[in-house]
Formats: sequence, structure tokens, C-alpha cells
Amino acid sequence: MELSAPLTVNWTLSYRCNFDCRHCYSRGYSRPELPLADLLRIVDDLASNRVAFVNFGGGEPLLDERLWPVARAAAERGLRVSLNSNGWLLDADAARRLAEVPLASVGISLDGADPAVHDRFRSRPGSFGRAVAALDHLAAAGVPATVSTVIFRGNVGQYRRIVELAAAHGAGTVYLHNFKCSGRGKDNRAELDLDPDGWRAFYEDALAYRAGAPATLAFDDPILALLGAAGPGAVKGSTCGKLSLHLEPDGVATPCGFIPVEAGDVLRDGVATVWADSPVLRKMRQKTPTGKCRSCASLDACLGGCTARAFAATGSFDAPDPHCWAPGDDPPA
Amino acid sequence: MNGVPVRDPAVVWRDEPAQKDAILRAQAAGEPADDLGWVLLVVRGEMHELNLVAGEIWCLCDGVRDLDAVARELARRYDAPLDEIRRDVDAFVAEAVDQGWLRLQSGGTG
Repeated sequence: MELSAPLTVNWTLSYRCNFDCRHCYSRGYSRPELPLADLLRIVDDLASNRVAFVNFGGGEPLLDERLWPVARAAAERGLRVSLNSNGWLLDADAARRLAEVPLASVGISLDGADPAVHDRFRSRPGSFGRAVAALDHLAAAGVPATVSTVIFRGNVGQYRRIVELAAAHGAGTVYLHNFKCSGRGKDNRAELDLDPDGWRAFYEDALAYRAGAPATLAFDDPILALLGAAGPGAVKGSTCGKLSLHLEPDGVATPCGFIPVEAGDVLRDGVATVWADSPVLRKMRQKTPTGKCRSCASLDACLGGCTARAFAATGSFDAPDPHCWAPGDDPPA
Repeated sequence: MNGVPVRDPAVVWRDEPAQKDAILRAQAAGEPADDLGWVLLVVRGEMHELNLVAGEIWCLCDGVRDLDAVARELARRYDAPLDEIRRDVDAFVAEAVDQGWLRLQSGGTG
């Protein structure tokens, strides 16, 4: 189904951040930030076009005081509002304010089951304790909490302990995110990223663990189609540009936060126009398989896997996902 | 089966009128359209597309109409036999109740 507007908007109000994470796709990014009045105009536009979900990321959203009026306006217009935070600033008072918005959910980044792994990955001593405390503050305030975990070499062996820890501190869902080799993730890829067989082993293990896990496990990786694990009704391939859109701090749209290719100006043209007319988004929706994808029996299911990873690794939306373990025949062009 | 079908507020949904028009055009052209969706439901992070009839029924489940009223309105819109439409309504609502997307409560417009 081709939608008239995105179902989900992932919105970076600012790239300001109090962390210096080793995998960050956006550290070092900088764009002009819009005044509050323009942000509220965008909220009106999203609501008028029946965007259902808005998720604030970044950057660290809690560093930005504009978050509060923008989130409140979105919630008042009927959008389901969520945000992702590193948890450092999420104390009892912040949790109470989030409950008042109200936030549908708040995701806390937790990348290790212990401080040694998490704090090193996040390059901030004490960040593990603050993230776990943030989950407790959210639970006390009655805000539904989730945990976001970026799977990388340093934590793949302890992801079950992360899930158990998250559940013990009230997180109902744990998102096990695939590693994106974008930004610093690309710079540090050799050290952090799993190889394709490693990804396969992880996903096979996680899918087997899912039914008995103490929290709901969620994955956002189209490559799971290789294991026949696409959920009912799930969109094939990347959802970016098909269901979701990313907004930069200046109102410019990109397919997702990991693909820094401008698709149009939402503040100037409106989200529906950008969504319908952007050649970049059309290309996201109509990839032309290349390389081993062209002869792969799984192409219909995965549509080439994660477009962001392919783009980061090769500069092409159409290239095979570098995490893909399917052999393919790589026929001549 | 009767009662008023009420949507679960946790189900996020959106209809896509342009997709509905495309389905109607396909049907008019004699093309297969049963698998084409025009209403999107997001349920606990999973997406489901509803086809023409299921989408119509879902949109009519406004918490006021009972099943008889839903069927009558749908039969009127499509100039279709009421008993045939009622079977479609019952089948979809039973499935949606089973999935937790709808619940049936007593009362309604009759």
C-alpha cells in the first residue's frame, strides 16, 4: 500500500548531545535549528496529514527545552509521541514532565548488561547507572518505558542479560537494533560490527529466545526476512520512505536518520508533498537490485535488506546489504 | 451475533482513500483486488492491511452502530444483498474480536 503521508516521523529537533558514543551516526552533524513557531507549524502539518507517530531522537532530546511544547502540541493533536534518550538527564522531575505530556513511551539506550560494556561504548563513565535509574524514574512516573540496544561485538554475548535487566527495571519492550555503519559507526565498523555470519547467529539465537524472553523483543532489520521472520503485515525491506520519514532540525526530510540525503523541505512544502513527490523517496521505494541481490531467491522477501547500511557502505541505495549472509551468485552486470 | 463493535483505542489506524479508489478502479476493470489494502492498522508494533470490505467494516465500527446497522449501511453503499453483507460483517468482526482489535458491547442503534 502506498501511503498518502508517513505513518511515523522520526524527528531530530537538534543534534546537540551530552554523549560521545562510538557508534553514533550523527556526532559531528550540525544543522540550523528552527524557532518554536516553525516547529509547531510542522506539528500542525503532520497532524493534518494524519501522521500517527512522532518519535524524537537526535542528539539528546532532553537537552532541548523546545521538546516540551512541541511534544505537548503533538500529543494534543492526537499523535502518539515517543522519544529516545540516553537517560542521563532523565531524573524524577523529567519523568513526571514526560508523563504530563503525555508520552506514549520513552526509550532508553542500554548497550550493555554492566557498566564496563555500556560506559565504554557510550564513552561516558556513569552512563550505565543513569540509564538504569532513568528506567526506574519512568516506572515510578507511570511512563511506558522501552529499551534500545544497539547490537555490536562488545555486547552480542550478553544481550539476554540486557533484556533481563531491562525487564527487571520495567521496560516492556527491548528493541535490538542492528548496527548501522553510518557516521562513527562507519569509522569504527571494523572494531564494532559483526560479520554476516555473526548477524545470522545472533538473529537465530534471538528468535529462539524471543518466546520466553521477559520482555517483548523487537527488531528493525529487514534482513530477518532471510530467516522467514518477517511479522504479519510487515512492510518488506526497509520501512524508511515507505512508512517512516526523518526530519532534520531545519525541517528538511531525509529517508531516515542514517541516510543523510535530502528528500525535501517539510516546512516549506508540507509533509504530504515531500512524501509524494520526492525522487529520493521514490528511489527508496523502488530499488533496483544489484550484485548478488539480482539472483537471490530471498529478494522478494527482503528487497535488498537495510538500505541505510547499503548506502553507508557503498553510496548506493541499490547495493546488497553488507550484513547479508545469503550467498547469491553475483552475476555479471 | 449482535452488539456494538468498539475499536481498541490501542489500535492505531488510518484509512487511505486514494488506495480505496484504486481498488474500486481495479474491480471495475475486472482485475483481482481482494488482496489490496486501503486501511492500515498498527497493533502492538505490527501492521495489518485491510482490504476493501474489511476496511469498510472497520471504518463503520464507530462505537455507535451495532452490527445490523453496519451491515445495512454497507449494503446501501454497495447496493448488495443484506444477508450476504451481514455474513461478511460477522466474519470480519469475529476475527477482529479474536485478534483484540474490536470488542462487542451491548446496545447500539439497532
